[in-house]
Amino acid sequence: MPLLTLATFLPILGGLALIVLPNRSARVAHGMSIAVTGVVFMLTLVIWSRGTIAGGFAQIEELAWIPAIGAAYRLGLDGLSLPLVLLTSLLFFLSAIYSARISDRAPSYVVLMLMLETAALGTFMALDGLLFYVFFEVSLVGMYFMIAGWGYEDRQRAALMFFIYTLLGSLPLLLAIIGLYLSSGTFDMRVWIDMPPLTGIAAMLALIAMLFTFAVKIPAFPVHTWLPAAHVQAPTAGSVILAGVMLKFGTYGLVRFALQMTPEAFAQAGQVILAVGVVSALYGAFAALAQSDLKKMIAYTSINHMGYVVMGVAVAALTVDLRIRTIALDGATLQMVSHGLVTGALFFLLGMLQDRAHSRDMSEFGGLLGRVPWLGWSFILMAFASLGLPGLAHFPAEFQVFLATLNTAPWAIIAILAIVVTAGLYLRAIAAVFLGSENEKWLEMRDLDRREKLVIVPLLILTVLVGVAPSWLINMIHTTMESLSF
Amino acid sequence: MERDLSFLIPELLLSSAAMLMIVAEMMRAARLALVIGLVGLAAATLLTLPVLHADTTVFSGTYRIDLISGWAKLILLPGTALALLMVRAEIAGQDREGSVYALICLVTLGALMLAGGGDIMVLVLGVVLTGLGSFALVAFPRDDAATEAAMKYLVFGAVTGSVMIYGLTFWFGGVGSTLFSALGALDGKPLIPTVGLVAVIIGLGYKAALVPFHFWAPDAYDGAPVSIAAYLSVITKLAAIFAFAQVLRDLPSSSGWPLVIAVISAVTMTYGYLTALVQTNLVRLIAYSSIAQSGYFMLGIVALGASSLAVPGLIVLGAAYVAMNLGAFAVVMISGRSLDDMRGFGRKRPAMGIVMVIFLLSLTGIPPLFGFVGKVYLFTAAIEAGFVWLAVIGILNSVLALGVYLRIIVPMYQLAQDINESVEKSPHPAVVAVIGITALITLGMGFLAGFLPA
Repeated sequence: MPLLTLATFLPILGGLALIVLPNRSARVAHGMSIAVTGVVFMLTLVIWSRGTIAGGFAQIEELAWIPAIGAAYRLGLDGLSLPLVLLTSLLFFLSAIYSARISDRAPSYVVLMLMLETAALGTFMALDGLLFYVFFEVSLVGMYFMIAGWGYEDRQRAALMFFIYTLLGSLPLLLAIIGLYLSSGTFDMRVWIDMPPLTGIAAMLALIAMLFTFAVKIPAFPVHTWLPAAHVQAPTAGSVILAGVMLKFGTYGLVRFALQMTPEAFAQAGQVILAVGVVSALYGAFAALAQSDLKKMIAYTSINHMGYVVMGVAVAALTVDLRIRTIALDGATLQMVSHGLVTGALFFLLGMLQDRAHSRDMSEFGGLLGRVPWLGWSFILMAFASLGLPGLAHFPAEFQVFLATLNTAPWAIIAILAIVVTAGLYLRAIAAVFLGSENEKWLEMRDLDRREKLVIVPLLILTVLVGVAPSWLINMIHTTMESLSF
Repeated sequence: MERDLSFLIPELLLSSAAMLMIVAEMMRAARLALVIGLVGLAAATLLTLPVLHADTTVFSGTYRIDLISGWAKLILLPGTALALLMVRAEIAGQDREGSVYALICLVTLGALMLAGGGDIMVLVLGVVLTGLGSFALVAFPRDDAATEAAMKYLVFGAVTGSVMIYGLTFWFGGVGSTLFSALGALDGKPLIPTVGLVAVIIGLGYKAALVPFHFWAPDAYDGAPVSIAAYLSVITKLAAIFAFAQVLRDLPSSSGWPLVIAVISAVTMTYGYLTALVQTNLVRLIAYSSIAQSGYFMLGIVALGASSLAVPGLIVLGAAYVAMNLGAFAVVMISGRSLDDMRGFGRKRPAMGIVMVIFLLSLTGIPPLFGFVGKVYLFTAAIEAGFVWLAVIGILNSVLALGVYLRIIVPMYQLAQDINESVEKSPHPAVVAVIGITALITLGMGFLAGFLPA
């Protein structure tokens, strides 16, 4: 059974079915959305059970596409992409459940969501350079219409900025892909990884092009400016997908393309990339500290967390010790998953808060913990996870990244300062929103209902599970990272 | 002779159809003329298939039956049929309706001669045949705007055409033959190749609307009926681009033509999109953006001979361009000519909105749409030919392109300020059919691109 293909295209097929369906009420649309994303989630669990192999890609599915230029439909998985695929299908499933209350043009919304899921799964599983680019760009279009159609007040401008910024960002990748193709005669990413076709100055130019693309997507300082605008204006599920899934395109590409396809150039530029990671981590934390808009604050902490991922990948390229390299890459990959779980949950919780209060400015709240204990405690737990408290999802990831950094480039450990800053800003936010004296405006606020609990509880459980016993996840990643060829 | 004619069956069919259409028009049977035209075009398309893989010449080398001319027929003939349907929807019942159909078929015949020409004389014949018909088509509405546009078009065409013929005589003088295949003898000679090159660039550049020979295009498109603008923007333009390919692949590159074309390509793309950014008239906006598209085609011309992907790229982007540009114009026929007409259009007509987005994103070059495949071919060809800088400019222009097309897409989904409640008449079924067909091609061929020539 071509399960990878099935999982990738089932969402868009569901969307197409919805378009031709005679009854397109909001109920039917959301029912379809939940059913399809649910089935896709199950499919990815089966894919997980089939496992990966060390030192290469597993579960390959291949079909001719444009034989004249050596482009083919190729899908496959390894320990880097599998956790991201699982994260993607989970977050889309939860988003579908959460979105069931949207009634404004529900069918179009659902079709866009399903199209995004196809694009996201395809991006992580594509083993063909051109195919990867196709999925990568389709996701952009989907997210643009998502923000422009269902976002908040200033959505048009934010959507436009997002679209132009990321399109400009992704075009250099196309150049790099064409460069890799012309020097190898194929678009097969496995060939590019096994025998990096570019060397010397060409490799460095390709690397610069790819770094630009992925830095915009991650986003790393100083090309991050689209992120706060897009996040603040995006609808809740859009924010969850943007932060939880689409930012991972950048870090995934950083490892899959930049590190694996131009390894020598990457090692040469390692210190610079490491510095970008450190600056992003610090900048994200300090910028988040300055926000009073809760959504913007979480958006900036994403820049901080993604900065750690960049550090991990850079350290892996710099070190000569295979053991340290594996620790750094394990940490970086785990950080991607943890960030998806934790930040995804935080955006869901903020969405729920905003549904109730129609505000996201922390100064307008106060003492909510007694009023809405489920919402409050979930937020507190996730905030603690986000600041890297031991026993929660980010700790094992960041610990490994810092361990490898200390060993390889001790100066970069100054990024640890950012953890102190994030701790401060989360405590401030918790104090302002959930503690202190109760604001009379919100006496009527309801706590989470069943549907909302259904969305949050899986993420809470996974956050604790990854924090306390991460081995099931790390083992999956470790097998690949140990034998990663570059 | 009989062998030669057997290769020319599509052209013969088309010209006979055009003659019959004129007869039908004389009998005041415009519908009959339309049917003859459509049947003729369909038959000519089908009969192209058997000779598609031929690579030969007829009439002593003056007319080429090769990959370019074969695919040109497969693209231009169905494209013309779609354009006929659009014209029918716009001018049905008007006086002189049948002559428009006949003229269109004759212009397409000229377009085929341009795409297959292997000789200076055939090239000139093609330029004249496409030109004369086009002037009359633009002038069809007989109002001030159309007359002025046609006049501009005519004067521009007459001047550039004469300059081209004059310059081409230098080539004849240089090699003693009018065949393109003899141009190799010019290798290393000073001046003569350059004079002829400049002449060709002026003559064909005018037809393809390359900067700086593009001034007529926005006026002509805006003055003519929308469907005629759609026709001219795809068929005569593609014919000129294929003609460029036929001429320049025989011209020794020592004359420096790749660099000249590369510069024109860069200027055309950038100028087209920059100007499109400030238009408020939808037809003019698409006109300027299609000028920029001509610049993209030149990426493939630059790489002729240096990359095996150049010709397939021209063909693939050509097919995509016919579908997406005709489709976009067809939507304009429904929405209206002003950018303001697009406000709320996507909410009022959701299906039309979606297909318009598909056409515009394909024109931008967003995967997995058909336009993207064509652009990848051409970028790859240009890089392989050593014009990395040109590919970079092309790729940067894609961002400008996005800005241009978003100017249409964004208002489509805004809430209309004053929804005019006037009863919208439902669009002509022929336009809907054209939109459906072109949307299917734009969407589907991105996936099935593997079946196209290599």
